[in-house]
Amino acid sequence: MNKNNYESEIQKIRQETSFTIALVGNPNVGKSTVFNHLTGLGAVTANYPGKTVALNVGMAKYQNIYMGIIDLPGTYSLGSVSEDQFVARQEIFEGHANVVVVIVDATNLERNLYLVLQLIDLGFPVVVACNLMDLAAKHNICVNTDKLSEYLGVPVIPMTATTGEGIEKLIETCINIFQHNVKMKANLPVYGKDIMDHINDLEGIISQNVKQIPFGLSARALAILVLEQDEEFLNYLTTSLHGPAVYDKAKAILEEIERTHGEKPAIRISRERHGYEGFLADKVQQIGVCQVSLSTKLWRFSLEPVTGLPILLAGIVAVFLIMYYCGGFLSAGFDTLWVRFISPYIKFLIFAIFGHNTIANTLLWGFDAGIQAALSVGIPYILIFYLMLAFLEDTGYLNSIAFLTDSLMHKIGLHGRSIIPIIAGAGCNVPAILGTRVLTTRREKIIACTLITLVPCSARTAIIMGAVAFFAGWKWAVAIYLIDFLVGILVGRALAVFLPGQSSGLVMEMFPFRIPRLSTVLKKTWYRFKEFIIIAIPIIAIGSLLLGSLYETKYLWYLTRPMSLIVENWLGLPAVAGICLLFGILRKELALQLLLALAIVQYGPNVQNLLNFMNKQQIFIFGLVTTLYIPCLAAISVLIKELGWKTAAFITLFTITLAVVVGGLANQALNILHLI
Amino acid sequence: MATKNQEDYLETIFHLESEGKTPTTQDIAQHLKISPASVSENLKKLAKEELVKHSPYKGVALTLKGKNIAVDVVRRHRLAERFLVDKLGLKWEKVHEEAHKIEHGISKVVGNKLYEVLGKPKTCPHGNPLPDAKGHIKEERSYPLNTLQKNDKAKIVKITDEDPKLLCYLATLGLMPKMKIRIEEKAPFDGPIMVRIGEATYALGKKIAESIWVKKYEQE
Repeated sequence: MNKNNYESEIQKIRQETSFTIALVGNPNVGKSTVFNHLTGLGAVTANYPGKTVALNVGMAKYQNIYMGIIDLPGTYSLGSVSEDQFVARQEIFEGHANVVVVIVDATNLERNLYLVLQLIDLGFPVVVACNLMDLAAKHNICVNTDKLSEYLGVPVIPMTATTGEGIEKLIETCINIFQHNVKMKANLPVYGKDIMDHINDLEGIISQNVKQIPFGLSARALAILVLEQDEEFLNYLTTSLHGPAVYDKAKAILEEIERTHGEKPAIRISRERHGYEGFLADKVQQIGVCQVSLSTKLWRFSLEPVTGLPILLAGIVAVFLIMYYCGGFLSAGFDTLWVRFISPYIKFLIFAIFGHNTIANTLLWGFDAGIQAALSVGIPYILIFYLMLAFLEDTGYLNSIAFLTDSLMHKIGLHGRSIIPIIAGAGCNVPAILGTRVLTTRREKIIACTLITLVPCSARTAIIMGAVAFFAGWKWAVAIYLIDFLVGILVGRALAVFLPGQSSGLVMEMFPFRIPRLSTVLKKTWYRFKEFIIIAIPIIAIGSLLLGSLYETKYLWYLTRPMSLIVENWLGLPAVAGICLLFGILRKELALQLLLALAIVQYGPNVQNLLNFMNKQQIFIFGLVTTLYIPCLAAISVLIKELGWKTAAFITLFTITLAVVVGGLANQALNILHLI
Repeated sequence: MATKNQEDYLETIFHLESEGKTPTTQDIAQHLKISPASVSENLKKLAKEELVKHSPYKGVALTLKGKNIAVDVVRRHRLAERFLVDKLGLKWEKVHEEAHKIEHGISKVVGNKLYEVLGKPKTCPHGNPLPDAKGHIKEERSYPLNTLQKNDKAKIVKITDEDPKLLCYLATLGLMPKMKIRIEEKAPFDGPIMVRIGEATYALGKKIAESIWVKKYEQE
């Protein structure tokens, strides 16, 4: 979604509701969980920083009052080093919200208060939601929210968002502020005397000289932002029409602070704010002795090199085995159910209406064979994978993987943080590509996006597991993953060398494991799966119908001819497989499902055995090529949005070439070696 | 001339400051094992003499005058420790308390003589640097963060990265000079380092870790 889309969506929400609440806070404190509770929507949540990279906008209703809710990407302060933080910053400043709810982590109050203090300092109407109270209690941390509220002069509400505790109180507080137009008397953070004097000085000059302060901020707010050396506002002072007096004064003060304190004013303010937040945390919380919990112990094991790497390896193997067995089990089950109980009725119905003719046969492609193919090779594996991904995300294990793999990622021009969107790409490439917004440079984004398109998404996993592992044996499925991995590393390495620039350093907050809540995991799986069904099933049906009509009318064979040189000679696949690969650009698993539909039509429903149609080597090559070439139209359009059409076109052509070259080489090698 | 009591205060504040804190009344009381009430009483007196700056919420800071005295006390303390170990043969783990009693009685003349007799030592028996007679204290050597080992405690001395945006970002997280950190974990193959500041834990890549210079920090 680009900026204009947000704007219009927020405008719409503002018109439909009485007032708007913005949810801000540090990464991974539960903003999206609160958002989901308030709106009943399904924003993706997980236990790692940086899930929300764009605004989530929704609506909540409480006792006949409609409220707009904006969920912002996590940020530690109003400064920004990456795109997601910039989005949060802009939205806060542009001030679409009537109340700014700052969600803080009760287990790490001190650092979380930084953003609260900054927002209060700038005069925003702040309500603090002290989240994760349950976790804090477990860690033997007691936060006195009343006392904190007294110190800050703004409402502080204890909350456990996962269970919904405190949400109602939060809404009531916000409504109260809005309805009674309560002017909050926030207590401004305390700085050292000289800093206070400088702020007052600058505030005075600004209010005299600056006619219009951006975003309707107060003179004091602008003074503080300038002392924080905020580039945007410093530039504003230099460029606008209020004469050189203000800027000169600001510069003089900045130099003065640097001289007295021996550090940059921004650092000084930051230090003093940290000092104050430390004082506050000290006053309002009691930290008791905490028994190291099992999940924390596990977390430490997952990070320690000696145990962490074996755990990572075991994890990968476990995921593969679960996919293989559980997916296979579901696949067989769905297939049997369809063939026994549904398929006969559909056939009966279609033949009854249309009679035995080409139209009926074509319809059968879409509504019988197509859906059966989706049930047996798409859905089972995708469902299992989504479940595992949701579980892994909620434990926070991805964070540990990022930590362990940072040095490897540097070799391919990235850093550990970028492994998280890359792993997420194994679910679906589209959100993964959006997830690269947490990265700081364009170079990193290009490399990460290219690699993401090479990550086998759940649709491709369905093909690898449902066709290659199932018919050609698990070893060949593993081989595809290994080749893909190797290709990914080589491509990453090549890009790292080829693209100018350097990889930036990793700075990532680490969070101990949290025990996932079953309901959250199931809900998340369901949201993703629902999205898949809604988008995928119609495309599969339409694709099958199209292919069916081509097949039934015999046009299919004309179309295969131009491609036969590459498909038949170089890749060694049956000519129609080439058509299926073309269709795969709509949705990846479609390639296989159409192939299977083709087999079903040709050999009857009980055959559903691809081996009648292609040999093991062909199935392997088919899987390999599908895995490597550009994922699908949705991914391409997201690439265009994130990187521009030139880069997107380059990535698309590159991966297609890559797939044909690698697939062909593998085919020729297997022809010589006779391994299958 | 500062009294023994004043010297103890200034010395304590100096140590707390060099650990990267802005000491509070509470910190000082804990350190000197006396009640916060009498600490704040005494701090007021010190402030009146312009040896410290004391502001509520913000804690205590030494003035230049106060710091000069503090460094001088530290010099005498470390000389006394040297003397007790080198000349009297006391065990170095035991001399801190004894030196604390002696330090206040050492005059400038005796101090300089001790320094000569002890062979112009550069550090105390614990390895901490000895301030020179003019009150200059040589900063202890600092090392890039990535050279530290797991469970090491350190104080950030400087950050050499030039990017102002990154510096501000790091400062927001509490990664700035004078802050104390602890190494929680090191990833394999020159990977990132996990450090703890307060309740927060961050993974820092090698590149960032190399630009953060720290001084290992141990209890004296």
